[in-house]
Amino acid sequence: MESMIFDMAERLFRDHVNHGLREAAAGGQCPEALWTQIEEAGLHMSLVPEADGGFGVPASEALGLIRIAGAHGLPLPLAETLVANAVLARAGLTLPGGRLTIAEGGSLELTRSGKALHAKGHLPIVPFARWADRIVTIAAIDGTDHVLSLPVKDLSIAPGQDLAGMPRDDVEVDLALTEADAAPLSRSFGGSQSSDVMRGLGALSRSLAMAGAMESILTMSVEYANDRVQFGRPIGKFQAIQQYLATMAGEASASRVAAEMAADSYDTPTFALAVAAAKSRTGEAAETIGALAHQVHGAIGYTQEHALHHFTKRIWSWRDEFGSELDWTRDLGRAALTSPHDTFWHFITDSTAQGAPA
Amino acid sequence: MTLTAFPPPPPGADHEDLRQEVRAFLAEELSDFPPEMRAKSWNGFSRDFSRKLAQRGWVGMTFPKEYGGHARSALERYVVSEELLAAGAPVISHWIADRQSAPLILAKGTDEQKRRIVPRIAAGELCFCIGMSEPDSGSDLAATRTVATEVEGGFRVNGTKVWTTYAHVADYMILFCRTGKSEDRHGGMSQFLVDLKTTENIQISPIIDIGGEHHFNQVIFDDTFLPSDALLGEKGGGWSQVMSELAFERSGPERFLSSFALIEELIRLLHDDATEAQQAEIGRLSAHLMVLRRMSRSVAGMLNEGQNPALQAAIVKDLGALFEQDMPRLARSLLARPAVPGGVSSYAAVLAYTELAVPSFSLRGGTREVLRGIIARGLGLR
Repeated sequence: MESMIFDMAERLFRDHVNHGLREAAAGGQCPEALWTQIEEAGLHMSLVPEADGGFGVPASEALGLIRIAGAHGLPLPLAETLVANAVLARAGLTLPGGRLTIAEGGSLELTRSGKALHAKGHLPIVPFARWADRIVTIAAIDGTDHVLSLPVKDLSIAPGQDLAGMPRDDVEVDLALTEADAAPLSRSFGGSQSSDVMRGLGALSRSLAMAGAMESILTMSVEYANDRVQFGRPIGKFQAIQQYLATMAGEASASRVAAEMAADSYDTPTFALAVAAAKSRTGEAAETIGALAHQVHGAIGYTQEHALHHFTKRIWSWRDEFGSELDWTRDLGRAALTSPHDTFWHFITDSTAQGAPA
Repeated sequence: MTLTAFPPPPPGADHEDLRQEVRAFLAEELSDFPPEMRAKSWNGFSRDFSRKLAQRGWVGMTFPKEYGGHARSALERYVVSEELLAAGAPVISHWIADRQSAPLILAKGTDEQKRRIVPRIAAGELCFCIGMSEPDSGSDLAATRTVATEVEGGFRVNGTKVWTTYAHVADYMILFCRTGKSEDRHGGMSQFLVDLKTTENIQISPIIDIGGEHHFNQVIFDDTFLPSDALLGEKGGGWSQVMSELAFERSGPERFLSSFALIEELIRLLHDDATEAQQAEIGRLSAHLMVLRRMSRSVAGMLNEGQNPALQAAIVKDLGALFEQDMPRLARSLLARPAVPGGVSSYAAVLAYTELAVPSFSLRGGTREVLRGIIARGLGLR
């Protein structure tokens, strides 16, 4: 896929996201300068519809940026900011600029005090919260979903991290919100129910990021197999290694197709099922690809010094976030088993139909 | 980029009207067709069914109209194919001819061959078999020994083909054999259109598979005379012809739907009493199926554009075979019910049939090891 925005992102990440930057970020240093460049390029706004201040990039293309960021192991909340801005725009809230993140808000309690809303509760493992200006989440009051834009400076943050050393923070919310920071979500994202919206969009993001990272892991593994000589020849000449790499290629291809299927269904009625398929399929592939990549790389790939671990740790973290394989396969299986379709086959064709936008 | 591209299926690939027409046809034609017959998947044989399907215009869909076809897209054909497979319709009588033999004849055949053969394929009248494998040439197709020697007015063929599915009922074989020196591994190969009903000195004998079924045959050519006009395509061009034929053979929905009758039986039994663990397994199966289907439709889109997605086809077939081979394990992990050949229930019969069928799925049409070798080469290894 060629497009201006892809080229721009690819160039920016290729030039700036390297082993050193990922190491520094894992050590707690937010790459501020790179974020400024991302903002200057407008990448963080590309999922916002043109009418709401976006640039009219097709959603599937904007979402493709998340795959590219994943392929480079970008240690910044670009995926989260893309999604957060799209959700804010949908609710008609101000797009504040800066780094944003997202959280599932099902556990937040909303109460009314006059015209204002009060949000109280705990948001666990919020990605990049301490590097973000705002957390965007969805919670319901009186049966109506509300999008909340929570300023991080007014929240209490307990820092944590994922396997890759990226910020994953526990957040306590006890905050009055004005109309500027809370609004009803009048139209959902393609059939998702209530707080499932953030979970679905988060899972879509992680699927795309995993697909990108797994593509890079495959590339690294092929290069290593062609370079590393043992027994007098590159190890990639051995059939056992070739079979591993071919298996990885199959899993990486399936992951990319799965993530793109979900991205194509963004904001359509098949979104929930497509995301369930994508998140569980890519999460499953993360197991196989991580294991085989380390097998191919041998001992050197098991060191801090080698770049591989930044990618394998990311995919192993991402598969747990916004619903694991178990969560999503249960959802999908329940939908299949209780569907009103005459046969399972009809359920499958309908859930993968390229429907019109909702 | 290391990864092989699978472009999105083209817009409008669903062809919902066509799908509903096919479903209505199948509901009527197969109303009494039991699950244990559906379990045979595309190995079910019925000339009558193939002819009826052709009358609806669903055989030879992509062939040009001047050769009896319907000039429809590869994606419309895909819709019909997957609906037939999901229903377990008996399609083998026309399947191979429709999938790969006719496209090969249309691409490489003489006008006379096209006019003589293709309209009859489109009418669902001709059954084709594939003459590639030999006793000493399985995965290593270049080791083919069967040889056609040029003689006055044609060729004399000597050699043996094996695993020839439905040769005992087929009307034609597309024979792959040597016409040049054996030192040249890929050169000196050619393909022939062999009329199995009228050609003399061809001996066809059954090879019974582990399920007791007769699909395979051994076919012996003993100084068999083939007329000059049996040569299909270029003399010596057989290798590249066979390779492009394989993209058609390897990427279709038959590469992941072969165990579909078992899935439908399983889901029918679990239905809405399923435990969470059972739901999760069905969800995993659904996710794999949804993704395989999109990959396979992507390849159909590429074939429609006239590309040769051989690498993508190898990936689809490798992943697809793993999926369809996993179904007996999956079924057994969810239901403690034994497999019974012939069946005390349709589930027991379908499970028994499928258990014995699945080992062949990663052998036929290119073994897993060969496919992964192709994928590895595509990655830039070797």
